[in-house]
Parts: sequence; C-alpha cells; structure tokens
Amino acid sequence: MIVLGSNSEIAQAFVEKALSAGERFSQIYLLTSNRETTEKFAKHLEVKFVQQSQIIEMDLLKPINYAVLEGLTSDLLFCATGYLGLGTAEGLYDNKNTERIIDINFAKLVPVLNFFAEKMERQRSGTMIVLSSVAGERGRQSNFIYGSAKAGLTAYLSGLRNYLFNKKVHVLTIKPGFMATKMTEGLPLNPKLTASPKQAATGIYKAYKTKKDVAYILPMWRIIMLVIKNIPEFIFKKLKL
Amino acid sequence: MKPTYKQVIANWGNFPVVEKEIKSEDSTKKIKEYVRNHHDIIARGNGRCYGDAALSENIFSTKRLNKFISFDRLNGIIECESGILLSDVLEVIVPQGYFLFVTPGTKFVTIGGAIASDVHGKNHHAEGCFSEYVMEFSLLNEEGDVLPCSRNQNSEKFWSTIGGMGLTGIILSAKFKLKNIESSYIRQESIKAENLDEIFKLFEESESWTYNVAWIDCLQTDKNLGRSIMMRGEHAFKHELPKKLQGNPLKLKMGSSPSIPFYFPNFVLNNLTVKIFNLLYYFRQSKKEVKSFVHYEQFFYPLDIVNDWNKIYGKSGFIQYQMVIPKESGKEGMKKILETIAKSGNGSFLAVLKLFGKNNPDAYNSFPFEGYTLALDFKVNSKLKKLVSQLDSIVEEFGGRIYLTKDSMSKSSLTNYLQNVQNPKFISMQQKRIDNN
Ligand SMILES: Cc1cc2nc3c(=O)[nH]c(=O)nc-3n(C[C@H](O)[C@H](O)[C@H](O)COP(=O)(O)OP(=O)(O)OC[C@H]3O[C@@H](n4cnc5c(N)ncnc54)[C@H](O)[C@@H]3O)c2cc1C
Repeated sequence: MIVLGSNSEIAQAFVEKALSAGERFSQIYLLTSNRETTEKFAKHLEVKFVQQSQIIEMDLLKPINYAVLEGLTSDLLFCATGYLGLGTAEGLYDNKNTERIIDINFAKLVPVLNFFAEKMERQRSGTMIVLSSVAGERGRQSNFIYGSAKAGLTAYLSGLRNYLFNKKVHVLTIKPGFMATKMTEGLPLNPKLTASPKQAATGIYKAYKTKKDVAYILPMWRIIMLVIKNIPEFIFKKLKL
Repeated sequence: MKPTYKQVIANWGNFPVVEKEIKSEDSTKKIKEYVRNHHDIIARGNGRCYGDAALSENIFSTKRLNKFISFDRLNGIIECESGILLSDVLEVIVPQGYFLFVTPGTKFVTIGGAIASDVHGKNHHAEGCFSEYVMEFSLLNEEGDVLPCSRNQNSEKFWSTIGGMGLTGIILSAKFKLKNIESSYIRQESIKAENLDEIFKLFEESESWTYNVAWIDCLQTDKNLGRSIMMRGEHAFKHELPKKLQGNPLKLKMGSSPSIPFYFPNFVLNNLTVKIFNLLYYFRQSKKEVKSFVHYEQFFYPLDIVNDWNKIYGKSGFIQYQMVIPKESGKEGMKKILETIAKSGNGSFLAVLKLFGKNNPDAYNSFPFEGYTLALDFKVNSKLKKLVSQLDSIVEEFGGRIYLTKDSMSKSSLTNYLQNVQNPKFISMQQKRIDNN
C-alpha cells in the first residue's frame, strides 16, 4: 500500500482498519512531510500487526524527487494529503495562505497522483482512494479557497476514474464532512455531523471493498450537500454559509 | 470559526461536571510547547477515574499518544505511548500468549492512567500493583524536558510519579513486563458466603489463589450482613480446558457466551431496585459452590460488556467510595461501614471487597496497603454528603485511607497521602480541593 499524507489520522486509521480486517501488504510506503509522527506510526504497525513499512519524505511544497518514488508499486494507494489553511475572514488576501491551500490540495498534488496513476494504468490493476471534501461541492463565503481547490480535485478524480475505468484501475473519491482530527481540533463542530477517524476508516474501507465511486463518511452529509447544491444562486449569494 | 478548546467534561462518575480547556497533541515538540505556555495543567487518559482527579483548568488529553513502540516477543516486554488502552495491549499480547500482570476492573484505562493511579487488580495480595512490572517511563516535567525514569535513573521522579495522580508531569510512554499465559481462560470457583464471618474466612483460605474478589449485597442486615459471592481464579493451562476450548486456547473475544454475567437494569435506581438487583445476583447462583472456565473478559471486565453503564445513574452522576482498612481490624471496620450504609438507606448497587497484600515501600504514593478494601457506588443525591462523612469517620477511626482515583468528596485527612508531588505547573481540581480543606 502507498499512503500519501501518512501523518493524517484518517490515513492511519484506514491502514489499521485494513490490517485489522486481515489484509497484509508486502510493504507499506508511508509518504510524509513529518518524519517524527510517521516514524512512530511505522513502529506501531510493526508491533501491532507485524507489518513492515517504509518512510519516504515528501513535501508537496518542495520539488518532488520522482526517482525515489519510482520503486514504489502497489495495488492500493490512499491519499489523505490536505491543508485547511486560514478561512476567508483571516486569510483571503494572504497570498501565501492561498497558494499553500491550492498547492497542497490540488496544484502540486495532481502531478503526484498522475505519477502513480500511470503506474497502475501500466499494471492494469489497482485502486486509488483519495480524500477530497464536501467543501468542494459549492463555493461558500467562509472558505471558498479551500473549497475551490477541493472542487478541482474532485473534478480531476472524476475524470481520472472515467479515464482509468477500462484500464481496470478504480478511483474512489471520499468526501468527508466534519472530522474530529488535529486539523479541526477546537473548532465548534456539531458532534452529530462529525466523524472520528476510526468511523471514517470503517466507512472508507467498506466503500473500497464494495467498489464505490464516491462516498460520504456520514450519510447525513449527502443530504446536506444535496440541499446546499440545489439552492438557487440568487438566494445562495445572500446566505452566510 | 475560531478554535476554542473549552469542553463540558466529567470523569466516569459524571460528577463533578465542568467546562474546561482540553488539548491533545502527538508530537513531543508540540507537547513541550504546550506545557511551557500553560499553567494549571493535568494529564487525562481515558477519564476512568471517577471524581475530579483528571480535571483542571487546562487538561492535556493523551488520546493521540496512542502508538505502540516495541514488543519483545521473546521476553514479554512491551513499550508504548501513554494513551494506549489496556484493551489495545491485550489485543496484541493475548494471541501471543501474554497477559497483563495487573489489571483493574475495566480494560478501558490508559497506560498513563494505570501508572499515575498505580492501579491494583484482584491479585494485589499475590502480585502487587501495576508499578511492580513497569520498567521505565518517560515523563515530561514542568520545564518541558523529557526525563527517562526508572528504578536507576531519576528514581525519585519514578517513584513519586507512580500513584502520583499526574501531579509530577505528563507520562509520555512506558515499558513494562508481561505475564505468560497458556490460555485466555480463567479457572474460576465462585462460592456463596452467608455473612461477613464467612466471607472473611473465605478470603483467608483463598490467599494461595492468584485472583480473589467478592461481591457484597450491601442492603443486608443483622445475620445476613456481608452476604456475598466470592470469585477466585487462576489462568487456566491449555490441558485443563474442556475439549471445545482447546482448539483456540488464546481466543481474544469471548463470543456469544450464554453466561454473560448480568445485565444491569436500565430503570431508575432506587433502594428497591438495588435490593432486587442484589437479591437476583446472589440467588442467580443456586449452588453453594460453582466451578467453571470463563473467558478473561468475563472474569476481569464484567462491566465492560455494557457500554456506558455509568449513565444509568442519571444526570446527577455517582461516586465510587473506595477505602482500605488495615488487615487486623478489617472485619470490624467493614462491619461498621456496611451497617452504616444499610441504615442510611442509600443502597450501593455495586460493592466489591478485596484483600490487599503488603505494599511496596518504594512506591510510597500508591493507595494499597495490607488490609481489606471495599469499593461502593453511590448515586449522588442530597443525602450522600452526610453518608460520606459518616463513612470517612469510620475509615479514619480504623486508620484507613481513601483511593484518590475514585475520590471526589472525602475528607482531606484521608486523601492527602501523596508525597513529593508539589509542582508549580501540574495541579488537578482534586488536589486543589484537598489542599484547601
Ligand atoms: C469500571 C471501573 C473499574 C475500575 N476498577 C479498578 C480496579 O479494580 N483497581 C484500580 O486500581 N482502579 C480501578 N478503576 C480506576 C481506574 O483504573 C483508574 O482511575 C485509572 O487511573 C483510570 O485510567 P485513565 O486512563 O482513564 O486515567 P484518567 O481517569 O484520565 O486519569 C486518572 C489519573 O491519572 C492521571 N493520568 C492519566 N494519564 C496520565 C499521564 N499520561 N501522565 C500523568 N498522569 C496521568 C490523571 O491526571 C489522573 O490523576 C476502575 C475504574 C472503572 C471505571
């Protein structure tokens, strides 16, 4: 398995979920920009599951060393890289913030995903599971930079899925709603709409096994987003969302 | 959306309930920063202490310190971060033929919490407290430095942290020894005792058993005072097991066993229901003595089967009152305590009696010492304060003390036994309460 953004709690919970379900991998490649916490995770996998893993440093904001990635092959890729950044109120006119959000969630990520997509295309097998966001379904005034980057990612994934379909490669887009992770700690989220990494992992694993194309983590989000998407623009623009 | 780390929070007894800042991190660098920039901090594991011990102005939750570090499968030594639960450890070690030397009555406590409370199990008389098997741990102190602590290194900190209720710093990780087992089953004998005399005699006769515990029906009076069921057990060897269990002797889950101990009634607790419950519990076993093989889950963690059972006490919450009374006067003390409870009409749903063995003098902050310990749950109501104060006086009279990890309203003379824990950074609501009394 290849994991992009291995420092993410959802990615780690997914790896644990797959291993608990009895899956074994000849190697798990943990790509990360944070060696410290990922190293801890690698040891954890060794103790808990007797599972080998290898850490590869990759920072989307720095030039990517594709030579290092060349040797990584697997039938399963899980991508949880993401960056929330500052919302509109604090960060809209902060260009550094805007660039980071677009780079990590879309611009710098897509070439890396393409790199692995090509490998799977050649293999004629594999699944790519990528976390996008419900924020990408409609731009809202509170965080539309993040939303637009995720919208780009969602559109890319849907195209990629289409392109890879007859090449036997499956693409699964995950649209988590609120998640109780480090990224959102301290934000006033509605607990009924917020999933834990463990819950998310269980849902994602099921979606993977049943070959879903697009999956929400909590079913409620499908309905919420359906409503949000269908509000006419002339009304939507007046709302404070 | 601005971060606000305030949360409504309570420990297992849902009393007291407070609104405080909670933060959690997994990177040592960030935890250090947090400690340097805050004051009035206490570490919190899984909040399974009952009262106000894991509460403070700033609570550092160890929920993200949830990784294993190493497992020496040959020698049975495991190392993990402090937020790992005993249940996580069991999942890894049981299939490999290992068990925890010491476990409390729930497996949902963290390693950090087990060290900070120096927890005991049903085997204290034979195998001591959790700390006996802790080889080393790392502690983040008030300066934000990480200290390796063991019997040889920073030994003063090592011993004051054990049973130190989080007041010496934040335990980040720990390494401890495991016990060999051949099966995940316990050879159990449960024996009914008509009264206090009988149960005390049973405890004395059972000292050679590794695990002993008794459930007392606390609403009985006079000649039935102390009516109880004693359960004693040993880890079963593979060859002892009934044939059908031998196929998978190290089974992790108990599966659908018809002998799930007991489902707690889900209606409002009052004296009558407690009485009925205790009667049912006692008469469920019709024979005087029953021998059986039970899965460790059932033997050690009967309450864990029912999720969130603490909620049955309702919004006002409950307390657990656990004291130890020196062995010589154990029976006399328990008698007085049970009489007082029966008279108060404030029935306890759950009363557990155990015998503690000799304490380890190095672990000077540990609660247990040689004697009898009784743990009782009481629903919080207007009469409870008075009862607690009556019970406290009896415990004091007999030279006993109260278990800090369960305490939320006892006298400070019974709860101020900690030494070498004064610290400008780390303080709990419990310690403040005790200091101000
Ligand atoms: C059903 C039930 C049965 C129980 N049975 C027993 C029993 O048989 N024997 C027994 O001894 N206890 C028993 N307990 C009590 C329980 O074992 C202790 O309260 C234990 O400490 C709880 O662990 P926790 O991880 O939930 O810690 P918390 O409740 O979160 O914290 C308890 C104390 O440990 C400190 N602490 C926690 N983590 C750290 C850390 N990383 N560094 C420093 N300090 C820390 C806290 O500051 C606090 O003072 C029982 C509790 C329940 C709910």
